[in-house]
Amino acid sequence: MEAYLDKGIKEVIDQFPEVENILNEYQIGCAPCTVGTCVLKDIVDIHNLPANEEREMMARIARAIYPDKEIEIPQVKSEIEEKVREFTYSPPMRKLVDEHVLIKRWIALIPAVVKNLDVESDEGRQLILDGVEFIRYYADRYHHAKEEDILFKYFDDDLEILQVMYEDHKTGRNHVKTILEALERKDKATIAEHLTAYGELLTEHIKKEDEILYPWMDRNLSDTQIGELFSKFHETDEQIGYSPTKYEAFINRVEETFKQ
Amino acid sequence: MEQFEGCPGSRMFEFKDKGAVDIEEATGKIESQLRQWPIQLHLISPLAPYYQGADVLLAADCVAFALGDFHRQYMQGKSIAIACPKLDEGQDIYVEKIKGWFEEAKINTLTVLIMQVPCCTGLINLAQQASLASQRKVPIKQVVVGVQGEILQEEWV
Repeated sequence: MEAYLDKGIKEVIDQFPEVENILNEYQIGCAPCTVGTCVLKDIVDIHNLPANEEREMMARIARAIYPDKEIEIPQVKSEIEEKVREFTYSPPMRKLVDEHVLIKRWIALIPAVVKNLDVESDEGRQLILDGVEFIRYYADRYHHAKEEDILFKYFDDDLEILQVMYEDHKTGRNHVKTILEALERKDKATIAEHLTAYGELLTEHIKKEDEILYPWMDRNLSDTQIGELFSKFHETDEQIGYSPTKYEAFINRVEETFKQ
Repeated sequence: MEQFEGCPGSRMFEFKDKGAVDIEEATGKIESQLRQWPIQLHLISPLAPYYQGADVLLAADCVAFALGDFHRQYMQGKSIAIACPKLDEGQDIYVEKIKGWFEEAKINTLTVLIMQVPCCTGLINLAQQASLASQRKVPIKQVVVGVQGEILQEEWV
């Protein structure tokens, strides 16, 4: 069993497909992950299940891997005290979660934008350009930059969970690049495909961050580091040179346009 | 209807003798983590050098007596002040001093340790009033300690 704890989750699921269903039952949704290299023991640890649920899940995974053997269940849970399970985000983490709200409002608009795609008129093309600007300047430069340039620096860059996040950011940037190239060619199908894919990617990405990554980071950061992060996020917002209210106004306008 | 038993903050309890079995054996001398003087909130200056950029602990007077591991668990690496939100006078001065920590001393974080009794939440309220009045915001953590020294709640507010 120890050997499988150190294997990437995609490899484990490919070999033992039932493990995917077991993880899903405990709200550990590794299946849609685009990378899947996080090792099983880190995944179990990072989700911080109550000790009894973790034991039960590990027993089921062990039975799925070794159906004919009695397996001793390894302890994965770190020494974090149980009482910390009920927590509130620290202020810097709360800020990132709050920033996700505007991105989620944009994602919710993507189906309507795709349905009404117009690459011929100036107005139609401008909507796509404004959407891309929102992704580039709000979702990426304003929000993801805080993660990549500040928050993630407090952790080991080689951590699989961080590599997954970097990969998601990179994939998002590639979608944006493809959308702009397709707009030049007035290629509606490609724009629709990549805008939709961006929405799906970010939906999963935000869920992973809000529910798994940020709570895990909060549990592992000291009070001093929380204070530093809070100050650094504030300084970054002041230095960036533009206000997020501009992008909130854009989302309000698109919501008004497609209001049913 | 339950009989009125008076203010929970002054209600009497006698805890059973915990006996030697429950007390973790301390080996050697336990070093104090206090790194400044004075500590009473009326006596301190928020501009004192040990508050500059510091992680500050604001503890209700009773906390250090209830929490067995107060020095090691909460005081390490922190600057401190103590106050009683129930009995102390001049609490508007407290708000100004906490605001001074935020704006002048540019402290990094503020951890407010209070007892579980209702009147002790007054200390959190003072910190929040100071934060509202301050141009500069700082993460504030609230830790609630039970009368027998257990941590009942620990969260960012």
